Order: sequence, then structure tokens, then C-alpha cells
Amino acid sequence: MSEFELLRNITIGQYLPTGSYLHRMDARAKIVATLLLVGAVSFTPTLAGNAVLIVVCLGIVALGRIPMTYALRGLLPALPLLVILAVMQLLFFGRAYDPSSPVVFHWGWIVVTAAVLRLVIISAARFVELLFVTSVFTLTTTTTELTHGIESLLRPLRRFRVPGHELALVVTIAIRFVPTLALEAERLMKAQASRGGGIGGGRWQFVERTRQMLPILVPLFTFALRRGEELIVAMEARAYTGGAGRTTYAVLRGSAADWLVPVAALAFLVAMLRAPFPV
Amino acid sequence: MTAGPFPGGDRPAGCAGRAIIEVTGLWHTYMAGTPFEQTALRGVSMDVRAGEVVGILGRTGSGKSTLIQYLNGLMRPVRGRVVVDGHDLANPRTDLRTVRQRVGLVFQDPETQMFEPLVGDDVAYGPRQLRLPAEEIRARVRWAMDAVGLPFERFKDRYTFSLSGGEMRKAALAGVLAIRPRVLVLDEPTSGLDPGARAELRRRIQDLRDREGLTLVLVSHDMEEVARLSDRLYVLQDGAVAAAGPTREVFGDAARLAAVGLLPPEPVQIVQRLRALGMAVRPDALTVEEAADAVAALLDG
Repeated sequence: MSEFELLRNITIGQYLPTGSYLHRMDARAKIVATLLLVGAVSFTPTLAGNAVLIVVCLGIVALGRIPMTYALRGLLPALPLLVILAVMQLLFFGRAYDPSSPVVFHWGWIVVTAAVLRLVIISAARFVELLFVTSVFTLTTTTTELTHGIESLLRPLRRFRVPGHELALVVTIAIRFVPTLALEAERLMKAQASRGGGIGGGRWQFVERTRQMLPILVPLFTFALRRGEELIVAMEARAYTGGAGRTTYAVLRGSAADWLVPVAALAFLVAMLRAPFPV
Repeated sequence: MTAGPFPGGDRPAGCAGRAIIEVTGLWHTYMAGTPFEQTALRGVSMDVRAGEVVGILGRTGSGKSTLIQYLNGLMRPVRGRVVVDGHDLANPRTDLRTVRQRVGLVFQDPETQMFEPLVGDDVAYGPRQLRLPAEEIRARVRWAMDAVGLPFERFKDRYTFSLSGGEMRKAALAGVLAIRPRVLVLDEPTSGLDPGARAELRRRIQDLRDREGLTLVLVSHDMEEVARLSDRLYVLQDGAVAAAGPTREVFGDAARLAAVGLLPPEPVQIVQRLRALGMAVRPDALTVEEAADAVAALLDG
């Protein structure tokens, strides 16, 4: 038990090898399917639609053979944000959002209409669904597969001077640094606590917590810059010159059947947009 | 300074005071409840008595760094018991901040945790967090900086990044000392320093025990350093205590050390080899000086 174990609650950017079908799938097909699902989540404005999406998300988690408790743990860090978002919406939307909607709660200047209530539930559900979809994607895809996938998908755009390889590299490095930075932040929190720093404050005391972050953030930035520079030197020392003429060690090979998954995702997206959900 | 011809290791462990830290049957699992879980400590028991220097040895991944995070209450035990100066860490009512003030922990490469532009301000971070009066903060910073060998007047207004590697390490050490702990836990205190700075820092650490009366826990890969500074040793292997006892005893048992993948300090190895060749050298020499004396005594006949 530790108040400092940061990585425990970060599921984004981790890879969890369980050998499921999603792990073996062609990364390019998986990227396309994920984007389509993100689209479905973003454009579904109904309660019933979001209920369907939640069920689908849980199905995807099961398909990836990811332990449900582990997937749910990834939601914990987002919880305060979700609560703040909901409170803001409840307090400040009032009648401004859809004035024709019936009032369900009225106290002083606080007015909550049915439409706002619906909005709160839908935005929270969307958030959770997005986290599920993206977590499952990163938990089942190694960074190498991700890079090659992005690069390969962007290749047709090269004639329009889109630097596909470089973009893919940026994404890879960004994702790769998430656990590294989390570990370093954890180390710094412990180090400052060891010399009297009062890291903590309640979970909800945001101002106090932010003020106390400075002794962590300053060294963390220094660390990130130093690591970045080391990475540059290491890449140049190994004669990295960018994407042109580079062959790859890991070759993406997926079966044609893998492309049925994004087709199914597309069909799902269209169905979600077209479905006449009652609420 | 300690009496007696040899540094470290001479004071029998029994003469140290009462136990200030007691660890009993401690287990630790990282990322418990996730697919990445990993057991780092498997039933470790140890104690640290007031006024002594305890060395912790072990190869990378043996659980040293995990263990020392319990000594100042960075982690609360789930399985096993840790009592620091009468505070049971498992008790939810124990205020961990009190524990962290009693036991200062200096992480490996502590200079990476400095964040204030001026050295004096950075050392003052701890006392300021304790909300002490200004004069008290100043007095503590002065004491801590002088104790590590960075004269207060000369260094307090220097830019942190203008310090040399050795000075920075000392300033970071002063930052922990400034909360005036009774026990100081040092993780690889001299790693990455040049030999001059290393010897100097080692001397300062010895002074902390001898002059300031601090109790020390020392984690190190450097056998020579551990041999010079510690009274007692704990050797960890795979998260369990593989050997424990007075420094001379542990280093004297070459077979046992080899079994956990460690070599005794070079002077000890030389003496052991000479004895293996049938020469009657004193068997308990630990440091270069002692080994030299022992060989000289043999030559003198």
C-alpha cells in the first residue's frame, strides 16, 4: 500500500500481453477500427445509444482478455475530472441549454433541467467509453506495431509531403515516455516527502495540491529535457537519418480477415448514427 | 572519532543503544492486484539501533531500495511490521510526517530533486515545509550546510546549477539533514562521483555519526565503502535476508558471500588468499590500511 504508486492507475500506454485475437490483429486494421469506434462514441447523442456503446466497450475489453478490474482501475485517475465536469454542467448550464426542457430541480439560482441532466450522463458515459477504447488499443498494441501501423497508413499521403515516418516516431516517443515520466514523478514525490515536503493534501484540495506540485514539476521538466537530449544523441550515434530507405525488423502482416474488423466498426458507426434511439 | 586502531566495524554491535527501527517479517508486492505484480520483499526482518551504522548489501533487484522506503514511512506495511521510534507504521493513526522527520531518506542521485535556483533556498525547503520560525530555519540550514562541508556564508547564495557534482550531492544531502532526522538512510551516497569527491563525502558521512550522533543506514554496491563505514551488515537476496551480522563476520565468510553473488572488499580477498596459501595473516582485516598492517606484521614475523 502506498500513496505514491502512480503507475498502478495508469493503463494508457501500457502493453498487456494476453495473446488475445486483438493482440494478433494487424495494427493498421486495429488503428482504423479504433478511430471508427472513437467516431461512434463522439457522435452518439442519445442515452440508449451510449448504453449500447458501454456494452460494446465491455465486450471489447473481454475480447482483449483484459482483466475487468484492471480496465476499471484506469478510470480512477479520471474520476476527479469527471466529477468537476458534472458539477460545472449542473451548476452553470441552467436554462441556457435547451430552454424548453422541463425543470427537475430548482434552488436559488441553481436550475437543473432534464436536458442538462441528460447531457451530464452522456458526457460522463462518453468519457468512460473513450478511455475504454483507447486503453484497450494501447494494452493490445506494442509501440513498434503502433509506429509501423501509423507509418504504413500515412504512406499514401507522402506525395502530399506528409511526413508519415516522423509523425509516427513522435507518437511512439510520446507514448513511450508516459510510464517513464510517471516513474520519475513517483521517485521525486517520494524524495521531496523524505525531506519534509507535504505531498498530499486531500484528494480534493486542488489549490494546495497544485502549489505543492512545484518541487515535483521543476525537476521533472529538467529530467524530461535531459532524457530527450540523451535520446537524440543515442539516435544520432546509431546513424538515424529519418524514414527514407529504412527497412523494418518487425513486418506487419495481417490476414485479409483482419480488415473485416474495421469494416464491422464502420458498419457499427453507421448503425449508431442511423439508429432511431428513442431517448 | 571512535577509539581503537581501526575505523568502523570495531564497536561490538551489542554496545549500540536501543532499537530505533524494527522491521519484522516484511513482505512487499509491487503493482498488487494488476497483471504486472511482482514480489520485492519476502519476509525481511532487521533492526537498527541508536548510534550504529547499518550497511545493507545486495545485488540489483534484491529489494534494498524497496526496504529502505519502509524505514521512513514512504510505504505502509500490508504484511509484516515496521516500528520506527515507537510508531507502528501499520497503524492508520500513525502520522507518517512525524516518522519522515525522525528518519531522513536520501535517494540515489539526490541532486536531481533540487528545484530552487539558490542553494540556501533548496536546503531550506524541508524546514519551511515544517513551518518553523525564520531564525530556526536559518539556523538549521546553516548547521546542515556546515555539516556536509558547504560553508553556509559562501554557498547559500550560489546558483544550484553552478555547483560541481560533488557539491551538488552534498547540498542535496544537506536538504535532508535540515529536517534534523535522528536516523539518516543513504542509498548509494557516493555513486557517480569522482574519487576525490567520493573520499570527501565518505569522511563527511563518518563525521555525521561520530560528531552529530546520527544513526546511519547505508545502502551501497561499494564493498570497500560499506566495510569502512558499517558496524553491522544485512545482505539481501531475492527479497530476503541472506546473511546478517557484524561487518567483519559477514565479510569473513567468503563462501556465504559468494553464494549470494557478492565478493568481499579487495583487502579482505587478498588476506583470504594469503591465508589459503598457508600464511598466518590476521584474518579480520577489512580495509586497505588494516590489510597492510596485517601483512607488515607477518613480514616482521
